[in-house]
Amino acid sequence: MIQVQNLTKDFSLNKKQRRELGEEYKDSKTLRAVDDISFECRPGKIFGLLGPNGAGKTTTLRMIATMLIPTSGSICVSGSDSVSDGQKVREKIGFMTGQTALYDRLTPTEMVKYIADLHGMDKTTFQKRKNKLFDVLDMHSFADRRIARLSTGMKQKTSIARTIIHDPPVMVFDEPTSGLDVMTSRAIMDLIRSCREEGKTVIFSTHRMGEVNQVCDDIAIIYKGRFFYNDTLDQFKEEMTQPTFEDEFIYRVGEA
Amino acid sequence: MKFLTIAKKEVIDISRDRRTMIMMVVVPLLLIPVLLGTVLKITKSMAEKASEKQLKVQIYGQEYAPDLYQAFADMEKVIILDQIPTDSIQSYIQQEFLDVAIHVDSDYKVNIAKNGQAKIRIQFKGTDSFGITKDRINGVLKKFENQIISERMDRLNLKPEVVRAYNINYEDVASRQEKFGKIAGGWFPYVFIIFGFMGAMYPALDLGAGEKERGTLETILSSPASRLDIVLGKFLVVLLAAFLTAFLALGGMAVGIQYIPDIPPEVLIVINGVLNLKTIGLIMTLVLPVAAFFSAMLLGLSIYARSFKEAQSIVAPLNIVIIFPAVIGTLPGMELNAITALIPVLNVSLASKDIIAGVINPVYMAEVYASLFGFAGLAIFWCVKMFNREKTIFRS
Repeated sequence: MIQVQNLTKDFSLNKKQRRELGEEYKDSKTLRAVDDISFECRPGKIFGLLGPNGAGKTTTLRMIATMLIPTSGSICVSGSDSVSDGQKVREKIGFMTGQTALYDRLTPTEMVKYIADLHGMDKTTFQKRKNKLFDVLDMHSFADRRIARLSTGMKQKTSIARTIIHDPPVMVFDEPTSGLDVMTSRAIMDLIRSCREEGKTVIFSTHRMGEVNQVCDDIAIIYKGRFFYNDTLDQFKEEMTQPTFEDEFIYRVGEA
Repeated sequence: MKFLTIAKKEVIDISRDRRTMIMMVVVPLLLIPVLLGTVLKITKSMAEKASEKQLKVQIYGQEYAPDLYQAFADMEKVIILDQIPTDSIQSYIQQEFLDVAIHVDSDYKVNIAKNGQAKIRIQFKGTDSFGITKDRINGVLKKFENQIISERMDRLNLKPEVVRAYNINYEDVASRQEKFGKIAGGWFPYVFIIFGFMGAMYPALDLGAGEKERGTLETILSSPASRLDIVLGKFLVVLLAAFLTAFLALGGMAVGIQYIPDIPPEVLIVINGVLNLKTIGLIMTLVLPVAAFFSAMLLGLSIYARSFKEAQSIVAPLNIVIIFPAVIGTLPGMELNAITALIPVLNVSLASKDIIAGVINPVYMAEVYASLFGFAGLAIFWCVKMFNREKTIFRS
């Protein structure tokens, strides 16, 4: 479960950044990346965070993962507060982005073991979990090859394995399919679905409406740091005035 | 204890990085002995070549000093020429068709006979290797002059003391180790400092900016490891690399020196005396905090950079900042005192010089440690701060 209450994040701006951002920020010392948002992600459900580039999706997810500290508001992940109990929060989440984010000079086994060690997993649990994951993802044939020599598909499988090795109850996916081909994107979407089946809480950011339609239960649309839609996907479909999801999304962003 | 997990992983990671391993192991262990040996070998062979060279000499006015002419003709490896006209001497010497032109005055005999001074003018090209041509000619002239003086003394019935009023006897109380330490000792720490810095550079860039560039920073930031664990784990590995590189550079030098041809045995005894466990151990205690200072500083800068390339361009000018005090430390007049003992890098250079010479002042040494540990602590504190700054970590 993720509970977000009145979450706000300001970034300070230097002179150069103020100049680059134009007239609107000429006299502003800060940029509000996330502006007073509240939402809840439930276990066994997939929460889709939708928005164009620069809308505040990554900032929100980084705050959930304790990488950034909120300016105000609170985030509670499975009963732990993200600011006062950051380590507990990190123990409960699996974080995945579009980049494979792997160490080229390690092997998949070493990579997965490293993350397991950081999570304090004991040897037997690790071995069992690793074998299970490597079976499911069919990784045994390249388990001891250096990551630099693996294909993109193999790398993505390794990335999946390292994200879920500690069997986290909460999964955070930040545009996990961006820049990936159809086959690898599908593997990620399958992973997201299987997380729901296992009863995990899933938050998933994207700007691809097709993906939202495929997997999401709840959605929120974020633009310039603010939510202007936050309900179930079914409700969104009912309220649609445009022929396609994409048209509706562009229409709503335009309205905002 | 998560920092140990991070350190363990980073050790595996950098030990598989060819660039780091070349810089850390191959360069100090192989390059130093090879370079040292090659430079000395070339120097020696050039000096040998210059002394082996057949000197082409022409003596103008040989008829005024036939005995002097004979002395030159009897020299080894000399060809006496007699065809070069006076007005072409300069161009012949310039083009190295002639090495030396000796001009004897027409009143040579008269001046010598009346116990006066005979004028001898010598033209040569002073750019030849090691001034050996001048030395060889001077050797013959000195020998001949001493012979004339001694004949004059006999003739005048004088003792040598008449022209040599002092019997000077210099007694140097400095031990060989002390002299070696003061003259050459500065170069030892110069090598550790430079190699310590270079050894820290690649791992620091890889573990900071490299991690950002690969996108793995988020992976580790979202793990249960705290920022302090991450910095500490990475810092320890960079420090290990810096320290090992400095240590191997010392090893490379120790090995290299053994293979340098023709070191006088007494000098070798001094060098081997210097390279004993106690001295090396003491110097390494200085290298450790200075390596910690470099490691924390480089890691902090590296995490600030957006990419490996940007990190390289930030760090490259630091090479000069490090080399400058290290070189100043090698200058003969620079001594360790209450002020220089506080300046990082320079103090390591100067203290090592005194340690090698065996004359280290314990008060200054304590000051050096205090300064180095203080700066290392500050650098580590700054590095942790950099890792905790959102603006630095996610700078794009």
